[in-house]
Amino acid sequence: MPLLEIKDLKQHFIIKKGFLGEKKKVKAVNGVSFKMEQGETLGIVGESGCGKSSLGRTILQLIKPTSGEIIFSGKNITHLPRKEMKALRKDMQIVFQDPYASLNPRNTVRTILETPLIVHGVGSRLERAKIVESLIDKIGIRKDQLDRYPHEFSGGQRQRIGIARALTLNPKLIIADEPVSALDVSVQSQVLNLMVDLQKEFNLSYLFISHDLSVVQHISDRVAVMYLGKIVEIADVEELYRNPLHPYTKALLTAVPLPDPTKKRDRIILQGDLPSPTNPPTGCAFHTRCPVATPECKVETPELREKVMGHWASCIHVHPEQSSKSKVNIS
Amino acid sequence: MLLELKNVSLSLKRDGKYVKILDEISLQVNKGETVGIVGESGCGKSMTALSIMRLLPEKAKLEGGILLEKEEISSYSKRKLEKIRGDKMAMIFQDPLTSLNPLHTVGRQIEETLILHTDLNKEQRKKRVIELLNEVGLPRADEIASDYPHQLSGGMRQRIMIAVAMACNPSLLICDEPTTALDVTVQAQILDLMNHLKDVNEMGIIMITHDLGVVAEVCDRVIVMYAGKIVEQAEIKELFINPKHPYTKGLLDSIPKLAMKKTKLGSIPGMVPSPDKMPKGCRFYERCSSAMEICREKTPPMNLVGEEHLAACWLFEEKEGEANASSRNKGLEATLHH
Repeated sequence: MPLLEIKDLKQHFIIKKGFLGEKKKVKAVNGVSFKMEQGETLGIVGESGCGKSSLGRTILQLIKPTSGEIIFSGKNITHLPRKEMKALRKDMQIVFQDPYASLNPRNTVRTILETPLIVHGVGSRLERAKIVESLIDKIGIRKDQLDRYPHEFSGGQRQRIGIARALTLNPKLIIADEPVSALDVSVQSQVLNLMVDLQKEFNLSYLFISHDLSVVQHISDRVAVMYLGKIVEIADVEELYRNPLHPYTKALLTAVPLPDPTKKRDRIILQGDLPSPTNPPTGCAFHTRCPVATPECKVETPELREKVMGHWASCIHVHPEQSSKSKVNIS
Repeated sequence: MLLELKNVSLSLKRDGKYVKILDEISLQVNKGETVGIVGESGCGKSMTALSIMRLLPEKAKLEGGILLEKEEISSYSKRKLEKIRGDKMAMIFQDPLTSLNPLHTVGRQIEETLILHTDLNKEQRKKRVIELLNEVGLPRADEIASDYPHQLSGGMRQRIMIAVAMACNPSLLICDEPTTALDVTVQAQILDLMNHLKDVNEMGIIMITHDLGVVAEVCDRVIVMYAGKIVEQAEIKELFINPKHPYTKGLLDSIPKLAMKKTKLGSIPGMVPSPDKMPKGCRFYERCSSAMEICREKTPPMNLVGEEHLAACWLFEEKEGEANASSRNKGLEATLHH
């Protein structure tokens, strides 16, 4: 049984635009489906506005989905009453991008870490103190720093506190929304190492949302690429980076600047920017920027199909039998 | 040589007393060359750029020499500086939305530079604006010229910023994290454009970034800064293949690389010391894995560690002695005058 299964999940926001108050829909998440196993890390990559953060928040039901199903540990949690959902939140936690904004500046680290335990009625005061102290030890912050306030810590330390807070209730799933994007590279590596260690120790599953393709490659077992609210490609991490099938994934991978001046690559440079999600292109949403688009792409909406074993892509120009020929070596 | 900084130090007033932000920065930029400045946040990369442009807060204390095309500009008056800013040297910032004026069309903002620095008449200016918009790769130039910044996407705004900077064909272009706020596919477009413009216009470019991938992609030479000091500089391939300073090594080790899945990444423990509590000796001492006794006591000098490769670290200090010292100075000079 998968830990998490998402079926055709949609998250449409209604925004008012113009002074006549005409209503417009932003299809932030537009029919996303995938499965995740316990202990697995699924990376979600895409450019800003592709709906990756909305996806994370919708899974946690911080915002109610427009339609679709979320099945967690075999239980459909899409329409649970508040009380039951609250109990379930113990098992699914989130780590946010900005370690400055996501910790309450008026609370000490001890209070920040203890609050989830109090909310969920875990343990006595003494037991709670023990849990907090053992956690703080794991994330490399000293016990005597527990009564300090967030501003007394560096960005990396704060992000580690954010991770510890997510761990207090012993969750099964952690949704990490750009957890290292605000950090310098030397600190980023500390946080990534910590996340890998904690995953091994607690058999955690991560839904790791990021725009940084090298970070996602480093930490993920499988990777899903999103474009305008849809998954356009999903595969095992090695397979996806070695043999990208979707033209968007290919462009995305060649666009990443490599920290190696001896390597020169043929880069696919996409024209233009991401189209507005209020008014996505017809047919394949990527056809406006796609280097291999044909007239059919304007009309036909491609479905996510398995092209190679375990490797799914949504492009009408990638055929299962051809995909082995179209191998592109990106390294 | 296009630009030379000679022992530039900068102090800013914080809580009533001066704090040294930059400490004896010396660097050179040649024509047609892109020099990268890298380092963690707070290491003084941006302040170095702002010192060159002299866009500094009130009561900033700037020492040392800044030579642009052999002219000492650090002593220029405000008015004289305004003449060369935007003309001989221009700067692009990280966030194109806050650096453009929301109340004027983008065409007007490009034109403004032309009004200030050229004798072109209205018609000629209009023509030049369209030309510039085409040069930075914007389609439908005449329509875009009458758009306001909010009507454009992030990538297009950054192209506008580049057009503003390029308006008077500056000989020096300073870019402060020009692609950090952009998506990776748009970043690729902008880096491509900058490489193209450099080749066409023979500019010298200073590229400030925290992204070592961007540096590897566009720079000819790299300067690594730490806590307000230059710790290493070398030609691009040399730096990536043969880094000498423990800080540079640490930075390179902490980048996730291909084919190293879920192995431990290298990291640098601790954090950058705050400018008002700088340690006495090497500023990297507390975080350095190869620290020695001398590092705590004495600031390491710049040593020549390879061809045109300098590192400020006691690990590479040659043995004391007149002959050695003079040969080192010769080597240094050769490097500086390259």
